[in-house]
Amino acid sequence: MTMASQVAPSLEETIGPADGIVIKTHDLWKTYEMGEAIAVQALCGVSFEIERGEYVAIMGPSGSGKSTLMNLIGCLDTPSQGRYWLNGNLVSELSDDELAHIRNKEIGFVFQTFNLLARASALHNVELPLIYSGVTALERRERAEEALRKVELADRMHHKPNELSGGQRQRVAVARALVNDPSIILADEPTGNLDTATGEEIMKLFDRLHEGGNNIVLVTHEHDIAAHAHRILHIRDGRIDRDERVQ
Amino acid sequence: MSDGPRNASRQEASVGKDRAAQLRHEHHGLYSVWSASREAFWLALEALRAHKLRSFLTLLGVVIATTTLIVVMSIVNGMNLYISERIANLGVNVFILHRFQWAQGYESFIKARRRNLPLRMEEYEFLKENLVGYKNICADSRLGDIEGGGIDARYRGHAIEDVRLEGTTPSFIDMREEKVGIGRYFTDSEYQHSAMVCFIGQDLADEFFPNTDPLGKEITVGGANFRVVGVAERIGTAFGVSLDRFVEVPLTTYQKVFVARVQVSVSVQAWNSQQMLALEDEARTLLRARRHLPYKEDDNFGINASDTLMSAWKRLTGTIFAVTIGIVAVFMVVGGIVIMNIMLASVTERTHEIGIRKSLGARRRDILMQFLIESGVTAATGGALGVLFSFIISRIVAVYFTSSVPVHAVVIGLALSTAVGLFFGIYPASKAARLDPIEALRTET
Repeated sequence: MTMASQVAPSLEETIGPADGIVIKTHDLWKTYEMGEAIAVQALCGVSFEIERGEYVAIMGPSGSGKSTLMNLIGCLDTPSQGRYWLNGNLVSELSDDELAHIRNKEIGFVFQTFNLLARASALHNVELPLIYSGVTALERRERAEEALRKVELADRMHHKPNELSGGQRQRVAVARALVNDPSIILADEPTGNLDTATGEEIMKLFDRLHEGGNNIVLVTHEHDIAAHAHRILHIRDGRIDRDERVQ
Repeated sequence: MSDGPRNASRQEASVGKDRAAQLRHEHHGLYSVWSASREAFWLALEALRAHKLRSFLTLLGVVIATTTLIVVMSIVNGMNLYISERIANLGVNVFILHRFQWAQGYESFIKARRRNLPLRMEEYEFLKENLVGYKNICADSRLGDIEGGGIDARYRGHAIEDVRLEGTTPSFIDMREEKVGIGRYFTDSEYQHSAMVCFIGQDLADEFFPNTDPLGKEITVGGANFRVVGVAERIGTAFGVSLDRFVEVPLTTYQKVFVARVQVSVSVQAWNSQQMLALEDEARTLLRARRHLPYKEDDNFGINASDTLMSAWKRLTGTIFAVTIGIVAVFMVVGGIVIMNIMLASVTERTHEIGIRKSLGARRRDILMQFLIESGVTAATGGALGVLFSFIISRIVAVYFTSSVPVHAVVIGLALSTAVGLFFGIYPASKAARLDPIEALRTET
């Protein structure tokens, strides 16, 4: 951020994304300082745009910088340099708490390891994002139940995660991602901890959500999984190697 | 938030940062703090319930501190009630001449024991004749003053041990807290003739005369027979001892039957508080003159007023409170540090959970609140346990001594323990709040 502000911003940088663009990045850099002399360049100037309603997969081998990119897209981290607009918000220059707010409102995470609260019921897990956005208890419950119905888990909403199968847990996580009606659903290897059949089930769920108008960004290294997307961004050595449209 | 406004605001997408601020105001308002706090509150209680023994051990310091605080405050409060009701109520505007000055330090008491002389009957008569302007004057002497114990009282088959026997002058009844219930006090005539009459307390009347009229009956006290002329109204108990177990006889009779040469306390009542000091000086001068004390010598007797007692009592409670504050402070700090330690462990244990919550939109202050509330609720639970224990202890103490839990002690106990929890929760909570979401998520559970 600081580096960007030292250079006089070009026209392209200052102009925000056009209408209908949900994600726009301009020249994203991420450098990790590993001690005094060594700096690792995880991202070297990544620029791309994702339109509303797109189903995009980000693919790359481990060490390619795809996790870093996911963290940036997910507003868990800020770039060392460059700009990132999410749903019209210039999020690359926000503070921690502002980023938390963006995560709450605009992003629905689905993690490889589900990341559910073990002690809470499925319903409560789905309610969590709503708690942090200050939705009243009654509305919270309604919306959480609605989200669980969408992933066909309404009958299991009072079960704790350890009483659910892997596939069911991931569906709870999807419901949690959906519940605050985010701009994008960001899935990080969502099938990584599931067997092939269950993984396929989850991918069908994502297909259905995409048909329902949701924006989906999928981070994976598996071709089969990436094949569900309509566009694949190949990452290699911190750069976009190939931007592939799938029919 | 519905879809409508968001679609509309897409038109102005380029003013990104302004809109972020705008969004923040729309929804991350007070209610989110409230709902997150409520969630944290239930989480805290859940955690306490899940680890009962661990929680109790964690809270021990706070429990002991709160219990100590409330118990001491209750006992002092109970004694205050007693003091203000009884001792300070010796009588309005009354001072008492006695061999010793009450409530003095140990060393001066030892010194006084060597040089002070007891007051005698003749001195009482002398003061009664020569003191000018008092409202009332009386003398009394009790057996306990000499032997440190009571005496047996009997009526037919019944016996009561350890009865307080007191010899008094007739004016005694007008100056002290005893009041005539039935019958009368003894008269000047009975006093002058050393009549074998007595005035008894309710305990004796209950034991000896449950169904009959006590007046005119003869009871045996310390081997001598006395005719009951009156019964006092019930007084009650102090420090777990009944104040109604007494026999009062004329001081002259007392001297004739029990003690050859009685030591007395002389109580003098002034007309008003302004007259008190003058009357005290007068009595002092008279007594010194009678005892031929040289000009420079100290008094070899004591003049006690209720304010002497009150100031001594206040000094004592001051010391008690100072010691208590020290003990409570030590326990609270120890308790607080234990809570901080447990909270730090809890933060480490739940790093992954914190990561999840942050990824879902929990801000720093949400996490901070969660852990602050948890340590606050934990410590407050300790405080509540302390309140419970102190009530039990206070009940037990009240049986043998005196104790009364004041409401403000409970409030202070709860407030203090909660404050300790919040204070020692600040560091762990801010540590949790500052965690990086990516690192926290990466932590294995």
